[in-house]
Amino acid sequence: MKRGFLAPLGLLVSAGLSVAAAQAAPFKCPHVGGDFVFGQEANINTLDQMTSSTISTRNIAMNIYESLMTRDENNHPILELAASMDEAADHLTYTFKLRQGVHFHNGKLMTSADVVASFDRYAKVGNQRSTLDNVDRWDAPDASTFVIHMKKIQPTFIEALSSFSVPIVIIPSENRDVPAQQLTQPIGTGPYQLVESVPGSAVKLKRFDGYQPNTSFQDRTGFGGYKQACFDTVTFRIVTEPGARVAGLRTGELQGVEDVPAKSVPDLKTDKNITILPLKNWWIQIANPNISNPPTDKLLVRKAIQAALDMDEVMDAASDGNYQLNVGFQYPNQPDYTDAGKDTYNLHNAALAKKYLAEADYKGEPVVLLTNKDYPSMYNAALVMQQQLQAVGINAQMKVVDWPTSVQMSLNTTKGWNFHFTGWGTQPALGALATMQFLVQPNATYKPVDGKDDPDVLAAWSDMNTLPTAEGRHQAFARMQKLVLDRVYAVPFGAYTKVQAVRSNVNGFVPFRIPRMSNVWFTP
Amino acid sequence: MGGILVRRLLGALPILLIVSLITFAMIHLIPGDPAAAIAGMSATPEQIINIRRDLGLDQPLLTQLADWYLNLLHGDLGRSLLLGQPVVQATMLRLPVTLALSAYALVLTLLIGLVSGILAALRQNTWVDQAAMVFAMLGISLPSFYLGLLMIIVLGVDLRWLPTGGYVAFTDDPLGWLATSTMPAISLALLLAGLLARITRSTMLEVLRQDYIRTARAKGLPNRTVVMKHALANALIPITTVLGIIVSLLISGSVVVETLFSIPGIGQLLTQAVLNRDYPMVQGGLLITTALLVLINIGVDCCYALLDPRVRYDGG
Repeated sequence: MKRGFLAPLGLLVSAGLSVAAAQAAPFKCPHVGGDFVFGQEANINTLDQMTSSTISTRNIAMNIYESLMTRDENNHPILELAASMDEAADHLTYTFKLRQGVHFHNGKLMTSADVVASFDRYAKVGNQRSTLDNVDRWDAPDASTFVIHMKKIQPTFIEALSSFSVPIVIIPSENRDVPAQQLTQPIGTGPYQLVESVPGSAVKLKRFDGYQPNTSFQDRTGFGGYKQACFDTVTFRIVTEPGARVAGLRTGELQGVEDVPAKSVPDLKTDKNITILPLKNWWIQIANPNISNPPTDKLLVRKAIQAALDMDEVMDAASDGNYQLNVGFQYPNQPDYTDAGKDTYNLHNAALAKKYLAEADYKGEPVVLLTNKDYPSMYNAALVMQQQLQAVGINAQMKVVDWPTSVQMSLNTTKGWNFHFTGWGTQPALGALATMQFLVQPNATYKPVDGKDDPDVLAAWSDMNTLPTAEGRHQAFARMQKLVLDRVYAVPFGAYTKVQAVRSNVNGFVPFRIPRMSNVWFTP
Repeated sequence: MGGILVRRLLGALPILLIVSLITFAMIHLIPGDPAAAIAGMSATPEQIINIRRDLGLDQPLLTQLADWYLNLLHGDLGRSLLLGQPVVQATMLRLPVTLALSAYALVLTLLIGLVSGILAALRQNTWVDQAAMVFAMLGISLPSFYLGLLMIIVLGVDLRWLPTGGYVAFTDDPLGWLATSTMPAISLALLLAGLLARITRSTMLEVLRQDYIRTARAKGLPNRTVVMKHALANALIPITTVLGIIVSLLISGSVVVETLFSIPGIGQLLTQAVLNRDYPMVQGGLLITTALLVLINIGVDCCYALLDPRVRYDGG
């Protein structure tokens, strides 16, 4: 007996069919041609998508590669290179039928041998290889069938498999043994193919004329759907200086940019040639406590800190006003969202904070806020938090280092800091499961004493992963979020909005986790 | 001359050894996890641990140092952690970009610095002198980053004369290269042109007061001959020495300008390498850059010997 598919996907397919009936035809580029130049804020270190977790790589590589499954506009798993997926009744086998007629950029027809090779390589060098921890083996009974055999049941396997954090992209089998980060000539099946990559300067893609769109859909959705390349070429130009990005957009040398500085937004809004596109919920601005280091080893001190915070002030400074208050670790537009633990959020209650401090017998020990200036939002959040803590009598001190140092300290030592400032971006977008892994071993961000997880948190995490029903897993997430907030194992400040912008002659560009170049075109 | 060259080249070897040791020590002494930097902001601990293991960053420091010198003996400077490319390849791809930009900036520096310095000396205490020195002070005082941003706004956005950023290789399109390199070259050149103008002025003033200049004028030589043949030729000796320093400053100054204008040169490469703790790239890239600067200074020494016979007679 076989089960057709996950409920969300079933919903999506139904939705897709109804869209098909309404539109009667799949998306067709209203205009084909041109070179779309996109100003990207960060350098890329590699286009080897299997081995990179950076947003800058994903920005480009996700237009080149495709996977068996990906996520739609609302973050539900959907099929991409697979035409169908069947989960066996015992939940131990997943059988994928591949879409027919899909070619790689080198002209080779994609078969299940390529899928096997891609999984082989990912298991060896993939940056998120734990996705395959519960997989026993995979094989290809015929050229268009790929089967995954599980060691044990993992109700969340499809969610993990469709993740775009470090996706298992499908590459030609001849690239199976290429070492990590050395896949310098990326070949995928996506709508755009690589022309050249000049590190530190630009990456140029061109339309893949042999692209086979996914006819199960009528339009682009998320990273998948019915995709068409409307531009002749797309150039990702690395422009790390924000002022230079804005200047390039205004002159028209750049047709799209990411991360517009907030102070430039009012000016750009008055320019009729430019369209501002806020990308809400870009990341959760957060500070992670260190409960192995005094005085934040005491729950009452942590609760005092939580009670003292005014999240509006913190987020306003962190984002220059581009934010939304947000409880917890998911956003209200996501299926996993819950406001469990909301009574701990945005209290800005000085009297309560002082009461907790008195109960904790706090004697003015320093509370060290570990932050960096590489990401101004993290520095500004720490600065405001320091002021708010000092206002209630907490001896808050800043420790400002650069980003790699702050991460190293937060991962490797429990000494010298009490709160580490960061932002959680990709993982919350992927869902509750991806996000809450930050709060369990290895390296749970709150640095549990002697590395031992809080058993209640661990139990909730276990339920999130193993309960058979989606509702049961959701309840487990709500329980875990409430525990984490009640025990102050994390201090999420709110949701940060990233501002993107395009020239007004650019159509179809919808802000997303990465800039999608499919189904985007120039006004003729 | 041959003796000077050989001695200088031999003297460069310990410099390179010391630089490589200091570089290794400093980049490893500063805290920071290259794996965290490579993994990016939203990486999970698992992703960071995988990178650290895959790149061999968990090896003891002495083992890493010994391996690095062993590979260096075979001409292998290792592989960039960040780019996945061999260090030599990554450096050699970027070096021509920086050298071309530095050469352009050097031409501008010489043109502006020498001309304004000579004019200021010849017209001492006139408005020409005052204007040249004010210009020189402005050049020295304005940070290249700020000057670059000003030019982007005025020349790029308002006047639309030049592109706001990006880079076109000279071999692909010489005019495109000129357009994309002009603002960065001016940003680099103005600081050093100001410096050169002040040095040229003071050196020229000193030379113009010498007895042999007075003698040349008394002989009835035309002013142009006195200035060009007698005064400038002698003033060039200290100026040439300064030129070596100026070339070094141009290459090191490219760090800021390349970042601002998105130019894929060695400055941007090394900045990224340091910020991301890309140990092999920092060590190898700095070794190559140091070797280049040492060679430039040896070249300056040779020029000095050509200009001043006393250097040759003294044996360098």
